[in-house]
Formats: sequence, C-alpha cells, structure tokens
Amino acid sequence: MREFSLIYLNGIRKEVRGIEALLMLGDWLRKEVGLTGTKIVCAEGDCGACTVLRAFPQGKSNSIQFEAINSCITTVAQMDGSHLVTVEGIQNGDELSPVQKAMRECHGSQCGYCTPGFVMALTGALEKHQSLDAKTACNYLTGNLCRCTGYQPIIEAALSAKQSEDHSVSKRYLKKEATSELIQKQRDSVLIKNGFSTFFAPATLEEAVHFASENPGFKVIGAATDLGVQTNKGKPLPKNLLSLHLISELYEVRKENKRIMVGARVTLSQLRREVEKTNPEFARFLNLFASPQIKNAATLVGNIANASPIGDTLPFLLVSRGKVHAVSIEDGAVKRREISFPDLFLGYKKLALEPSEIITHVSFDETSQNQILKIYKVSQRKDLDISTVSGAFLLKTVSQGTGKKIEEARLAFGGVAATPVRLPEAEKALQGKVLDSKLIQEVSELIGKTIAPQTDLRGSKTYRKVLAMNLFKRYGREVLHG
Amino acid sequence: MADDLKGLPNIASDPHDSSLSHVTGRSEYIDDRPLLKREILCGLVYSPYARAKLKKLDFSESLRIPGVVGVVTANDVSTNMWGTIFQDQPVLASTEVQYAGEVVAVLGAESPEALRAGLSHVTVEWEKLPAILSVDEAIAKKSFIGEERTISRGDVVEALKKSPKKLAGIVKIQGADHFYLESQAAVVYPKEDGQLEVHSSTQHPTETQHVVAKACGVPFKDVVCIAKRLGGGFGGKESQAAPIAAFAALMAKKMGRPARLALSKDDDMVITGKRNPFQIFYEVGFNPDGKIVALDAKLFSDGGAYADLSTSIMERAMLHSDNAYFISNMRVSGQVCRTNYHPHTAFRGFGGPKGVALIESILEDIARVTGKDALDIRKLNCYKPGEDITHYGQKVENNLLPGLFEKLEIDSGYRRRREEIKAWNQKVIKDGGNPRGLSLTAVKFGISFTTRFLNQGNALVIIHTDGSVQVSTGAVEMGQGVNSRIASIVAEEFGLPISSIRMMPTSTEKNANTSPTAASSGTDINGAAAQKACLEIKRRLAALALRLKEIPKEKWPSKTAGLGTAPEIEIAKDLETAHSQVSFENGKVVLKNTAFALPFAELVREAYLNRISLSEYGHYRIPNLGFDKLKGKGQAFLYYTQGVAASEVEIDRDTGEVKVKRVDILMDLGRPINYGLDVGQVTGGFIQGMGWVTTENLVYNQDGYLLSHSPSTYKIPSIQDIPRVFNANLVHNEGNTVNVKSTKAVGEPPLLLCLSVWTAIRDAIMSCRGNEIVPMEIPATSERVLRALAPEEFQDL
Repeated sequence: MREFSLIYLNGIRKEVRGIEALLMLGDWLRKEVGLTGTKIVCAEGDCGACTVLRAFPQGKSNSIQFEAINSCITTVAQMDGSHLVTVEGIQNGDELSPVQKAMRECHGSQCGYCTPGFVMALTGALEKHQSLDAKTACNYLTGNLCRCTGYQPIIEAALSAKQSEDHSVSKRYLKKEATSELIQKQRDSVLIKNGFSTFFAPATLEEAVHFASENPGFKVIGAATDLGVQTNKGKPLPKNLLSLHLISELYEVRKENKRIMVGARVTLSQLRREVEKTNPEFARFLNLFASPQIKNAATLVGNIANASPIGDTLPFLLVSRGKVHAVSIEDGAVKRREISFPDLFLGYKKLALEPSEIITHVSFDETSQNQILKIYKVSQRKDLDISTVSGAFLLKTVSQGTGKKIEEARLAFGGVAATPVRLPEAEKALQGKVLDSKLIQEVSELIGKTIAPQTDLRGSKTYRKVLAMNLFKRYGREVLHG
Repeated sequence: MADDLKGLPNIASDPHDSSLSHVTGRSEYIDDRPLLKREILCGLVYSPYARAKLKKLDFSESLRIPGVVGVVTANDVSTNMWGTIFQDQPVLASTEVQYAGEVVAVLGAESPEALRAGLSHVTVEWEKLPAILSVDEAIAKKSFIGEERTISRGDVVEALKKSPKKLAGIVKIQGADHFYLESQAAVVYPKEDGQLEVHSSTQHPTETQHVVAKACGVPFKDVVCIAKRLGGGFGGKESQAAPIAAFAALMAKKMGRPARLALSKDDDMVITGKRNPFQIFYEVGFNPDGKIVALDAKLFSDGGAYADLSTSIMERAMLHSDNAYFISNMRVSGQVCRTNYHPHTAFRGFGGPKGVALIESILEDIARVTGKDALDIRKLNCYKPGEDITHYGQKVENNLLPGLFEKLEIDSGYRRRREEIKAWNQKVIKDGGNPRGLSLTAVKFGISFTTRFLNQGNALVIIHTDGSVQVSTGAVEMGQGVNSRIASIVAEEFGLPISSIRMMPTSTEKNANTSPTAASSGTDINGAAAQKACLEIKRRLAALALRLKEIPKEKWPSKTAGLGTAPEIEIAKDLETAHSQVSFENGKVVLKNTAFALPFAELVREAYLNRISLSEYGHYRIPNLGFDKLKGKGQAFLYYTQGVAASEVEIDRDTGEVKVKRVDILMDLGRPINYGLDVGQVTGGFIQGMGWVTTENLVYNQDGYLLSHSPSTYKIPSIQDIPRVFNANLVHNEGNTVNVKSTKAVGEPPLLLCLSVWTAIRDAIMSCRGNEIVPMEIPATSERVLRALAPEEFQDL
C-alpha cells in the first residue's frame, strides 16, 4: 500500500501525499509547485487554458504516448503513475519548441492567457503527426478557447510548426527507468487521506469491491470530468473516492459474439480507435463529441454512470442493446450482474444500481451490415457543447421490391425527457412497413406527440420537439436517398 | 488605393513584445503573483435576486472556521459611492441590492478551502422586491438613466411624410459577455503610512486608483495602481475592474495584510455587466430606387442597475446609426433604461455595433422592397463626394468607402456568388436543403473618445546610459499589442532596434491622470505622447552632437567630466535648430551631410556626463475636436477607420444551426505600425462579434440571475466555428496624416463587420421566405433561426 501518488513532472519524480494529492492538478501545479504557466479559467474543462500532457504507461501496452488533458478537473491523486509535461517543460534550454516558435512568429498569442493551453494541445498533436493540416489542427484544438485572435493566426502557427527530434516530449521525458518504475508501482494500491476525503486506488477488483461494500456512498472517480467540475464549483469532494486506475483488466476492449465489451477505464479516445471497424457510425460520432482533452481522460462508463439525460453516448447505447456490467459483494462472494439500458435509468440523474455496486464494463452490439444506424446531436455551438437534443436511430431492413421493409426499428433520444429514452410507439409504427416519405412524416408527427421535453437555457420545449422530429426526418431522408 | 498591403516593404510585423513569455508560460498575470506568507484570499457575497432587501448578514459562523480571517462590508467603506460618469453605485451595497450579483460583503481567508467553507457558512436573508427585468418594462415605468438625447438633421417628419416608400420596425439586440480569459483580479499590498500598492487587471489604472483611494479614505497620492498586462479586457475592465480592486484594498487595509481577489469565471460572469442590450424603434423613408431620404430612430438601451458608461455608449450608438451611409434627413434619439440587471458596460465597439446593426438591417430590408441587390442599395447610399457630411455635421474626410465596396465586390467574387446562391436557394425552395445567404456590410468607425477631455495621453521615456530605453505610458497592454506599437514608434524615433526598448508596466506613479485604454485609442494617444517625449530628448541629443563635432574628442565629457578639466558644453542655443541637421538611424546619431556619426549609446553617455536630461515626459492631446453633446453637433472624431466584409452562411434546415462558410474582410487601417498585430485585431474582432450575433446567448432566470455563467452554457466561438475561407486584407492608405505615424486605430472597428454574418443569415431566411421581411434578434441562435425559417413547424406543438 502506498500513501502517495507517484508522477514524473517535466521529468522530475514527485511523490504527492495528503492534502496536496487531493487538489486539482492545475491548482497544485500553480500554487504548490509554482508552475503558473498553466492557467485556470473555467475550471470545468471547457476552455483548455489548463491543458497539460499526460502519458500513462499502462501494464501491457508498450506504446505510450503523451496526450492532452485538462488539469483543472482532475486531482493529482488520479494522475498516479503518469508522466506529466507542462508548458514550462517543452522549451529545450534556451531554444523554443517548434510550436512555441510558430505561435510567436505567426502572432498566435495576443493577451497570452489561453496561449499555454494552445501550445500544449499543439505539442500533443505533434507527438502524433510530424506536421498538421488545417483540419487536423482544428480537431486537436477543439477544446481550447481563445477570445483574442479569431483563431486564424493560431491555425497558421499550427500549419507552420514541424515536429523536431530534439523537441519531441516523448523522446525527452519517456525515460525507460522512470516508466518502469511507474509501471512497477502500479502493483501497489494507493490510499490517500486529506482529513476529509479518502482516495483509494486498489490494485485488484476484489479489493475494490470490498472497499465499496465497506463504504456505502462511495463514489467511483474515473476521469472526474464531472466530479472535478462540481468540486471546483463549491461542492466538497465526496468522503470516499474509489479510483480503478490500477486495475489493468478494466483497460480492455473485448469483442465477443458480435458484442463489444468496454472496460471502465477505457477512454473515449481509445474507444474510438477500437470501434472504428465494428461500429463505424459510433466512431464517427465520437470524433465530433467533446474535446480531445476530455476524450483523452473521460470514459464511456463515466458518461453512463453520470446518469445525465443528455449524455451524448446514451442514445447510441439504447439502440445498440447496451448493458452495464456491475460487481458487488454478496455474502462474502463477488457477485456479477448485468443491467440492460432501458432499465438502468430510473429518473433524472438516478440509476438502478445498488449502493455497493461498481460498474466494471459496458457492452453493446456491433453494428451489423443490415442495420442502418445514424447518430445525431444538436447544440447551440457545433463542437464542445452540451446537446439540446440528440438522437440515435437504427433500422434493420430487408429489400422488398424497390423499397426497404423494416424488420426492426429502434429510436432513442437524449434531451427530450428526464432520462434518455427509447420510443416504443414510434418504433412499432415503423415495424413491418416499407419506408417512404409518407411513413417518415407520420412517424415524425408521432414522435412530436410522444415526447414531452422541458424548456431550459439550451432551448424551449417546442424547439426540442421540432428538433426531434426533424432529426428523424433527416434520418429518413438519408435512409431513402443514401 | 486598390493595392493590398500584404507584402509591402517597410511595414513591420514583429512578434508581440510579450510573445516570448506568453508561449513559454512565463508571462505574469495577477493571480500568478507568488502568494505571500500572510496573504488573504478574498471571496464575495452577492445577491441571487434582481432586487432585494438585505434582511440579515451574519458572519459569526464563518468567522469560527479555522483560516477564515476577516470580513468587509459597507460599514468599512469610506466613500461608498462610485461611478465613471454618474456616481450612483455603492462599492458594497448595504440595505438593498439592485441586481443579482451585487456584492454586499468580502470574506477573507488563508486558503481556498477555508474561503470556500467560510462562504458557505455566511447567513444571509433577503426579501425579494419587485424588479424591472426588461427594456419594455423600464420604458413603461419611465425608469431611466440620464436624459434623452437627440441628434438631428433636416426635417425628418416632413421627409417621411413625402417619402414614396416607407418601412417601420423594431431591432432587438441582446448583450454579450466579454469572456476575457483572465477573470477580474486584483492583489493589494498595504505599505507604510497607509499607502496601498494595487496590482489590478484593469484597463483604467487611474480610475481604479481613484476608486480604491476613495473607498479606503486615503488621498490619491497614497495609492499606486499597476497593470502589467491583462488576459483580455475588451471593455469589460474599463470601469468594472475598479470595484474589484477596491474589494481587495478594503480587506488589505482593514486587516493590514496583503489581499488577493481573483474571481472565478462563474462569479465574474454573474457579477459584471455585459454589452448593453438595445431595442430600437425606427421608421425609414426611401425612394423607389432604394435611396434613403429619411430615418427616424429611437434607441433604448438596457443600462442595468447603475449608470456605468451606458450614456456614453448610447451616444456612440447614435453617432454610428448612419454608419457608412449618407442620410439627408435623420433624427436619432437615445435613452438609457434603468433595470435590475448587472450594470452594463463598455464592450469593444461601445455603442457603435448597435447603431450599425440598425442601418445595415434597414438596408437589407430596402433591398427586399425594391427587388434590388442589397449591395447596390448600400453603394447607392454610401458616403461620397457631395454627400459626405454626417448627421452630426462632421465631414467624412479621406473617405475610402466607395472604393472599399468596389474592391471587395470584385475580390470576393460577390456577383458570381450571388447568382450561385440565388440558384441554390431556388432549388432549396423546390426540393428542400440548406438555405444560403450572402451579405456585404461596411464600417465607418469614429476614432476619438466622444468626451473631449479623455483624448489626452502621457508618456515617460527614460534612456539609460547604456543606450537602452524604458517607456511608460498610460496604455494598458491587454493583448492588442499597444506596447509593441509604442515600442516601434520609440525605436524608430531613436533609430534603435526594437530590442533596445522595454515597455514598463502601466503604473499611476509614472503616468497619472490617464484615460482608459479604450475607444481603440491606446496607440494613438499614448504613442503620440511617447513620440513627443522622444522628440524632446532628440532635440537635446542633436544639439550636443552638433557641438561635439566641433570639439576635439579629448575634450569630450567622457574624458573631462570626472576631473572637471573642461567646461561643460552649452547646448541651449542649438536646441531649436539642431534636430533638423541630425538623424537617428541604425543605432547611430549622424550629422547630415557630414561624416560625423556616433553610436547612440556613446552620445547618451556624453549627454549624461554633461548633465543633460535623458528622460522626458510627453503629453499629447488630440487636436481639433469639438463635439457639443447637448446640441449633438460638431467634430466628434479625429478620423474614421473604415472597412467592408462579405459573409456567406448556410443554415441547417432541420436544426437552424448556422455555418459561416466564407468571410472576406477589407480594411483601411492607414499605415499599420505592425501588420501582423493589426491583422490579428481584425480576425479577432470579427470572430468575437460573430459570437455575439450567433451563439452567445445570455439566459437569465426570473430573478434576473444569469444562468449561462460559464463556457459550458455560454458559447463563444471555438476554432471549429471560424469561416472555412477567411480572408482578411488591408488596403494601402498613407493619407491619415492627422494621426501618429499615419496609422489608424484598429481595436474596435473590425468587430462591427460581424454584422455581415447576421445580415447574411437574414438574407438566407428571407430568400427562402418569398423575400418577405423577417426580423431577427441578435443573437441569431439556432432556435431563433429555425423559428424564422420555418414558423409553421412550431405551430400546434
């Protein structure tokens, strides 16, 4: 058992304990380590000013890479086992890195407050690409807000920056001895207390389950992309935090019997790579969803366990026969349970989980050849915005004459009720019919009648109804006309 | 004209003077200052209600929490009233609050955790009172700030009566949050004898100094306010930084310990005022060809609970309701409304964007009525020789507008794209699809504060004996590059490389009685003041150089001053004439038409040893200004910054989401001092404005409390939102000789070109709605756009 979180920060070994370990990484860097280059603006993972690079050598994987994350909404404790690099760590002696040089020369910084975040996000991008085209650059920078430049000079900087061997942070910081120490230490569980909260990271699932049963009301801390926000905005950290980051089996994506089984520690970035072939539409959607910083940290299980009615992956999981897999202790033995999606959501932010249950996996169907699946999301801003309405529609069809007869229909929406919902009535109305524009119109009207969304700051209930209807109509058009 | 400026020789494009520290993370902002051992962290207690009586405010529980050290309330404030124009706002409210977010107390603690706990244990009881939460309500109740003002020319009533065509309507414009990345912040160090050293993220160190001094009850001389750099300002830190600094100062003074207040983004957005919302009622008369003959407009703005800068903002809106267009009969009146929202304030463009929105929207509507292209309507009405006097009586000199329209029309392929879009939308009407719109709008932005006395600046230039130079001015660096531009001016005057110039933090102990860095004026007034100071020093150095040439080197001060073996050199008689015979270039001081040249640093040393001052204080005032606010007539501006932009948008037919496909901008910035910095202002200002007219939606609850108070709910443009094609070019214009280095101010004007996105959205909607006039509120959110495009879909739901 360790009482510290072990990290390598800009190549320097740090054991972080107690109160310090349960600070947000960004606050710790700024106030405790004195690295004030990292800026905190929104403290909710929406602006990217706090971007740092993280490389997490995880048990079996031998290719580790630096990826951008938001330091404002993750505790130092969760960074246990990581290499971290901040803006202070990328200059090589007196020489600016290629990204720094380009940002400077292309007038990519004005007030400078967002600049370290952009520099780090671009540095992360150049760890994966020797150079960037505009589209790739923008995709890496979706999670960084700038209020001064209008982004154009930053894109120019991104286009002119070329990776150089001397400045590769992987080359500079992923030292063998350090990495093997990080991996070796992953075998030890971590227990950190700050006087109020306890952070426990067990090395095995069994330990985790015992902790859960002994500490009802515990909270699993995944990426903390939501928990961190709540803490920053005034809610104290929960009393008992359980981190699964040392349990290597939870980093796996398994494919069996046309089902995809995703471990609780699988990030959305990793998931996108893994499901590109089996679920291409879901992979495409994951591309559009959230920022790279969030996707490099947040997990699919977290998106579900958060139980929000507008979790962006939920409509997909609803139509893909999603299930969560949970473990708990019953009579001293580990008990496993599966809960399928419609049953999982009891109400607003309420899940059908026992107080001591831990979600270990989520599973869903591969998208098969005869299924037509589309996922949609509407938000005020196209990228990195919480959806007003989202939808996933899946039809299983067989050809009949020139048309397509619907064998099975599954329609799911987020943002139209207190929980993500399937629409059985509309599904029934499609079943066994041949899709044509008249049917699309009828079903869309039925959708309008069935759902009862609320008005909030993202849109009125009427707008949400119109959106739900129009998204289905769009789907219908796309199915009909390809 | 016609030339693009890009690639012209002799236009510098040096990196921003802070760029090195920006990209390495070493730039220091307020909250990056190291915490001192006994420093207090401050947090604010504010009202959740638009208007309420403060029934109870009790800190006894908070103060029992370990680490919570003190509290400041209205009782601790010496002069508890401030305001830039009208002193109508308490620093800390005492018995009643007028807006949700109004601060009643400052709590101090020794750690963030203690502060958080302390704030959650304050006992506050409120009694809600009726509040005014809309402009309509304020008008009905005659709840106003200041008097109604009118600017008028011709006989509008008569002209409207005779006008062959008329339109009337309402333009509704919402506010916007500044969303500077660095939220409001200040650190205050108490010094001996009651002095206070204030480090503030402020655009107006002088006002911050004054507000702090009055709140703390000390003379101005005992407060020094320093602003090294700001992580963005955009007008939001012009007036509203002052109370933030006062909160920290009151705590520092009361506790005798350093105190820091760095707002969270959420608190900042709830507490501070926004761009003023406007509601404009208008009637316009025009000829069948689209020529406007009369415009009668009544502007109402939402000033929020206190006056702040709203009356000045209204004035600028009225002065910009003509924009680039000559309107022979025009009457524009303006009235600020008092509501129960945060006091709204300056935001890039001030009132300008609102006046311009009105006229650009009207021109778009006239195009619908006449069946002509909106660009032709604009060109027809554009200021041109013979039609170049504004409604307030100022002549539009150096008018490049007609040429800018012509050039961008060609450069952007406007006519061809118009035809393509017409055909596209015909198809959309027939077969469905996403409507497209195209619009080309202009800006003519008046440069100068409309309040005459603000048009002054001062600068301190100090040359050290190694020949390096420090410059201090009243200008605040907030990203716009004002320090880089001033450094360029000074470097050019002395013939030195820019690396020899160090711009010092803006501080009221070096530059007092300064104007805010606002109204795009930073470089103009402070750069001109610095230039004046340089010229004075150069006169002295030139006179000395002239005399040195006549003296054998062994008699020079460097050889004689130490022992006093030669008399001091007298330069008085050459002071008036010498500088015309001397040039400062490439680090040398050269006597023209002679072989005599001295390295700058060497001459500087000789000057020091000869007891010649190497420092100078320059004061500059913009000449020839004379605008009578009560009559609404006169020379309001020194010159106009002009530009045009063409924007093309596509609307998602199913969702109302808007995509800006292409933007072409062409601006006249005179002779830029720094090309790269200027273009950065253009792209940045445009995109900032684009957010205001599209996705940035301020949503309040029924208590007037802002719900969209963080980036998860308040959506400024992201990198994915910028136009797929984005061209920003400058034209070549050396004619603005009235301004320092013939340059033109750039900070605000490009923002106003964002209205082309808004009018393009209207174009798209109206093109697909049989060319009927469809109003559109700012911002054109997806929901508003879809409602305007397909109102029938919203019925019976």
